[in-house]
Amino acid sequence: MDGSRLESLRVLVVEDELLIRWSIAETLSNAGCYVTEAGDAAGALRAAAVEHFDAVVLDYRLPDSDDLKLLETIRAQLPGSTIVLMSAFGTPEIVQRAEALGVNRFLDKPFEMEALKELLAA
Amino acid sequence: MSRAIADDPIATGRVGGIRYVLPALAIVNLIVVLAIARLAAGDSRRQSQSADDLQAKKRQLEQQVASHADELRDSHERLRSVIESAVDGIVVIDSKGHIEAFNRGAERLFGYPALEVIGRNVSILMPSPYHEEHDGYIAGYLTSGTPHIIGIGREVTGRRRDGTSFPLHLSVGEMVIGGERKFTGVLHDLSDRVNLEKQLRSSEARWRAIIESAVDAIIVIDAHGRVEAFNPAAERLFGYREGEMRGQNVNMLMPSPYHEEHDHYLARYHATHVKKIIGIGREVIGRRKDGSTFPVHLSVGEMVLDGETRFTGILHDLTERTRIEAQLREQAALARLGEMAAVLAHEVKNPLAGIRGAIQIIGGRLPRDGKDALITQEIISRIDALNGLMKDLLLFARPPQPKPMTVDLSALVRATADLLDADPALKSIHVEMDGSAPAVRADPDLLKIVFVNLLVNGAHAMDGHGTIRVSLSAHDSTAEVTFADSGPGIPEDVRARIFTPFFTTKSRGSGLGLPTAKRLVEAHNGTISVACPPGGGTRVSVRLPAAVPVYSGPSGPPLS
Repeated sequence: MDGSRLESLRVLVVEDELLIRWSIAETLSNAGCYVTEAGDAAGALRAAAVEHFDAVVLDYRLPDSDDLKLLETIRAQLPGSTIVLMSAFGTPEIVQRAEALGVNRFLDKPFEMEALKELLAA
Repeated sequence: MSRAIADDPIATGRVGGIRYVLPALAIVNLIVVLAIARLAAGDSRRQSQSADDLQAKKRQLEQQVASHADELRDSHERLRSVIESAVDGIVVIDSKGHIEAFNRGAERLFGYPALEVIGRNVSILMPSPYHEEHDGYIAGYLTSGTPHIIGIGREVTGRRRDGTSFPLHLSVGEMVIGGERKFTGVLHDLSDRVNLEKQLRSSEARWRAIIESAVDAIIVIDAHGRVEAFNPAAERLFGYREGEMRGQNVNMLMPSPYHEEHDHYLARYHATHVKKIIGIGREVIGRRKDGSTFPVHLSVGEMVLDGETRFTGILHDLTERTRIEAQLREQAALARLGEMAAVLAHEVKNPLAGIRGAIQIIGGRLPRDGKDALITQEIISRIDALNGLMKDLLLFARPPQPKPMTVDLSALVRATADLLDADPALKSIHVEMDGSAPAVRADPDLLKIVFVNLLVNGAHAMDGHGTIRVSLSAHDSTAEVTFADSGPGIPEDVRARIFTPFFTTKSRGSGLGLPTAKRLVEAHNGTISVACPPGGGTRVSVRLPAAVPVYSGPSGPPLS
């Protein structure tokens, strides 16, 4: 894998499960990314309002966001960013609707950290 | 009574009424006159007899005649009232068929007043063709002397004044009065009897038809439990013919322990009259001729016919209902399981993902060749196993909707078998294929899961060594794939539960492999069955509907 493409990438990680968020942040930081962490949708929107992100790693289910609402807002706020959607139980229907919003990178939990890096670099 | 009159020649001879009695009186007068004349003549020959004697004899004779005439008149009146009050119709005709007498009963029967019909041909009381033929009957009888109805009586059809027909019994007597042959008919209305018979017949036919055509089985037994009636639905239900069942104890239609206890039930009922099932009905178990049993709803009615108690059982087969109920219960349970699994999956997989990620990173910081790093690898493999179980549960509880495409089963089985070759645990398993099957419309990813499950099951049955024979075949419009292993086979009690989720005989197994295979096959409108031939091993057969050729637009000669 070409790790260099992750170098200096600005990534927003939105995940309420601490262990996942920490693991992703550690992995991406080690790969040279600038990582900003958010534990909920409100935090994610605050961050996106003041900063530009090349990529967003987003959990499908968050305590303060139902369904794909946050994805829709983020997509509008950061039109050029790469978005990866994570889900512990993704149905084909969710995938379809996310694709309709222009998101086509998905991760089924649990996943290999290498898989996340590949998705971001692709 | 009217028949007695009709058959009594003396009585019938007097039937004519006053017209016959008056001539009779005249005859008596004539006799008296002749007697007086003879006496007078004798007087002239025998001068010795006095005129007074003669006069006395004459008076005596006249008194006798008068008293006879009175008797005759009384008798006539009696007869007349008998005839007139008779319920039956009485009609007298002459040898030409003309009506000479017509009583009130006849008036009531035919709706004609006597005056209107006296002197007319009796054929007006008959519908065609008798109406036209009657003169011929009389003429025929008068010439041949062979009676067809006279002295016999039979059922005939009468015609009323209003033109309607009705059945009646006619008995005809013959008499000769004044040298003239006359016929007396006594007519008894049969309308009511015929109607009643018709009603009875149609009512019986109706009941018979209802019982014969009933969808439910109807069985009638006597007080001792012996079968008296067994309708066609009962024949279909139990596999016995009515002829085989009649006279048999009804308990042969019941499995143990009811079979042995039924006689006691009956005896107890006769002794106590406590109704346990009579008039109520309940679900019971029936036993077919082939020994198989089935659920059936039985309602029993009691009746007393000809002083004897009988029981009528109406049996409704519950096999289908029970099957559908079980199916609905299973569907409801699976739907609940599906919801549960979705929640569980998220609640388990999310933390698993966190643990896996964190342990991966922490493990990566440990010395690569140290024992700790090895342990972190083991932790990850356990997490993956747990995740695999969750995935299996989800697949079973919430199978995805198949995305069908045309699938060549032979190629798919081969690809699946090659996949398993990579598994070191299945290295010593050979997959041999034979036969061919039509292509099917199916989701290859889902079918692959089915085939993997079946191949792995077969491999486990043979302890990882041996040959699994995969046979492809076509049956009507279905394609069949059979996986046959040479393992020990499956005991019957285990086989009965083999598709029950979480039922497993393996020390390590989720018990979801075959249930999932079944759900996925059924999602393709297919069937799956397991058989253990006497020769050993297990055969699992999957049947799928063959692909229907897709209509791809009109086909005609290519344009050039």
